[in-house]
Amino acid sequence: MTRRWFNSGIDLRLKFVLPISAIVMAAMVILSGYLIKRQAAGFYRELETNGQTLIKILAINAESGVLFESPYELDALLGTLHHFGSVEYCLIKNLEGETISHVGQNHIAAEDLQSLRDLGRATMALESGYFMDRRDRELFVLMSSITTEKKVLHRETLGMTGGVDQSLTASMVSETIGWIELGMTVGTVQKATDDATWAAVLLALLVLLATIFVVALIVNAVIKPITTLADATDKISRGDFSTTVDIDQRDEIGQLAKNFNRMTESLTQSREEIEQYNRTLEEKIIERTGQLEDAQAQLIQSEKMGAIGQLAAGVAHELNNPLGGILGYSQFTLEKMRKNIPEKTTAKEIRSYLRYVGDIELQARRCKTIVQNLLRFSRSSRTVEFDEVDVNRVMEETLTFVEHQLRISQMELEVDLGSSLPRIQGNAGQLQQIFTNLIINAMHASESGASIQINSRYCPALGEFGGTVEFSVTDTGHGIAKEDLKKIFEPFFTTKEVGKGTGLGLSVSYGIVKEHGGEITVESEIGEGTTFTVILPVQKKEPTADIDRGTSNEQRV
Amino acid sequence: MGSTENQSILIVDDEEIIRDFLSEVLEDYEISLACDGDEAIDRLHERSFDLVITDLRMPKVPGEEVVKAVRELRPEAKVIVISGYSSLYTVSQSVCHGACAFLSKPFSIKELMQTVTSALEDGEAQNG
Repeated sequence: MTRRWFNSGIDLRLKFVLPISAIVMAAMVILSGYLIKRQAAGFYRELETNGQTLIKILAINAESGVLFESPYELDALLGTLHHFGSVEYCLIKNLEGETISHVGQNHIAAEDLQSLRDLGRATMALESGYFMDRRDRELFVLMSSITTEKKVLHRETLGMTGGVDQSLTASMVSETIGWIELGMTVGTVQKATDDATWAAVLLALLVLLATIFVVALIVNAVIKPITTLADATDKISRGDFSTTVDIDQRDEIGQLAKNFNRMTESLTQSREEIEQYNRTLEEKIIERTGQLEDAQAQLIQSEKMGAIGQLAAGVAHELNNPLGGILGYSQFTLEKMRKNIPEKTTAKEIRSYLRYVGDIELQARRCKTIVQNLLRFSRSSRTVEFDEVDVNRVMEETLTFVEHQLRISQMELEVDLGSSLPRIQGNAGQLQQIFTNLIINAMHASESGASIQINSRYCPALGEFGGTVEFSVTDTGHGIAKEDLKKIFEPFFTTKEVGKGTGLGLSVSYGIVKEHGGEITVESEIGEGTTFTVILPVQKKEPTADIDRGTSNEQRV
Repeated sequence: MGSTENQSILIVDDEEIIRDFLSEVLEDYEISLACDGDEAIDRLHERSFDLVITDLRMPKVPGEEVVKAVRELRPEAKVIVISGYSSLYTVSQSVCHGACAFLSKPFSIKELMQTVTSALEDGEAQNG
C-alpha cells in the first residue's frame, strides 16, 4: 500500500503532505473529541453542584416562610434567584402540595416530573434529574424537602421529679413542612460545550494549516535539492559533464550532492581519459594504416620488380638485338669508309651507307622506345597519379614487352582492341602491370601453340551509369578449379609450380583495379580456359566495397 | 689461313637485322640464312656447313635444338652461339651441346671475325 502510494505518479510534495495532514487531522479529531467530552462532563458536574448548593440554601431560608405560610417572605427569597442566569424556575410547596411561591415558568409536563416528586417524598432526600420541556429545552430539575427543627418533650419524666423545669427533658426532631423544586436550564452548559467544540474545530484547522505549511516547507527543502540533482542528472545524461550541483547542506542530501559532484568529476575524468585513449587509438590506427599502406606499396613494388625480373630476359634480348645491329652496322660503316677513299665511292656504295645509317637511326629509336616503356613500367606506385589514359595504348605498350616471350612460347596473340575507346582516369604504369600479369598468367596456363585473345570494348554511358572500358584476356589453357577460384585474388595464392609465381600478381592487380574504382572478374572452366575481365569506369569513382566472393565459378572484385 | 670462298656458314636468327648484318660482315664466305630453328635443321638435312652461327631464343625450335641437330647431322661443322640472353646457364648448356664459341650480343665485328676465323681454322685442322 505504502509502496504503491510512493510508486504512483503523484507529485512528491502531495505524497508527503497528504498522509501527514491526514494523520494530524485524525489525531486532532480524537484529541478534541476527548477533551470536549471531558469539558462537557465538567460543565454538567458544575451545574449539578451549583444546583444542589442553591437548593439547599433555598430550603434552609424558606423554613420560616413555609412555617408561617408567608408568601411575601418566600417571594422575596425566590426573587433573589434572578441573579442566577441558569435558574429556569423555582417552586415552593406546602405539605398539601399547594404552590406557596414560585418564580419562572415550568414547561415540563407534570407527568414527566411525577416520578421525581414521588421519589423525593419517599426518600425525603435531595433528588434530581434531567428532563425535556415542551419547548425541547433540557432542564436539570432538583427537588428537596423543607424541614424545621421541633422540640419533643418526654412526658414520662414529669411525674417522677415534681418540678417542671428540672424534670423536663427534650430532644430535637426534624419535620418536613414543604417542598422546594428548582429547574435549571442546561442551555448554558450546551452553549459552553458548543463554544469549546467550535474552538477545537478552529484550532484543529489552524493546526492542520500549520502542519501543511510546515510539512510543505520541509518537503520543499528536501525536494529542492533532489530536483536540482534530477536536473543535473538529466544534463549529464545528455552529455553535459560540466554540470555540478550547488547544495550547501551538512545532512544526507549534502552528502549526496557532494558524492554526485565527485561522481560527475570522475565521469568527466573518465570521459577525458577515454577521449584521450580514442585519440591515441586513432593516431595509432593512422600510424598503422600508414605502415600498412607502406607495406602494401612495398608489396606492389616488389611484385612489380618480380614481374620486371620475369620480363628481364625478353627485354634484354629485345634490346640487345637492335643494339647488336646498331653497333655492328656503325662499326661496319666506319670500317668500309676507312678502306674506301671517298673519291672512289660509287653511287651504290653511297646508297648502302645511307641504308646503314638509316638502320642505325631506326634501331636507335627502337631502343629508345623499349627503354622508355621499361622505365614507365617500373615507376614507383607510391606516388600514384591519376591522369587521362588511353587504355588501348597502354595495352599496346604492354604487348611490346610480352610479344617476344609469346613468340618464343609459340603462342598466338589475337588482339582485337575496340575503336573509339574514351580516355579514362587512371595510372598507365599500374594498368600496364595488370595487363602484364594477366597475359603472363594466360601464357603460363596455356600449352605451346595455343592462342591468347585480348579484347577491349567500350560500354557507353546510360543514365547514372558513367560508362566503362572493358579489357579481357582469354586463354584456352587448363582452367582453374572451382575451389581455387574463391582464393584466386588472395595474396600468396598460386597454382603455379614453385619458383614460377609469387602468388601476388592477381592480388596486386585486384588492389590496382580497386584503386581505379573498377572490377576484375574471372570465368573459368577446367580444360577449356579462363577469361579475366577488367572493367574500368570512365570517371574514377570511390573504390568499391568487396563483393561477396561467392561459390560460383565467376569471381568479381 | 685457307681461302674463305669455299667455306660455308649457316646463320640462324629470328631477327632480320642480325641476319642481314652477319651476312654483310661475312660476305666473303658462302652464307646461308635461316630465320628459326626448324628452317636451320632443314638446311642441315640438305647440306653440310663449315660453320653454324645460331641464336638461342627463337620461336618454335630454340637454338639448343639447332646445336644438337648439328652434332647429330653434321658433326664436322663448328657452332658459334650468339645470344642477347647470356647467363652462366645458357652458356654452359650450349657448350655442353657442342658449341665451340659463345658471343654475347651486342658484339663487335672484331670479336665476331676473330671467333669465326678461329672456329673455321680449328675445323680445318681437325678435318685435315
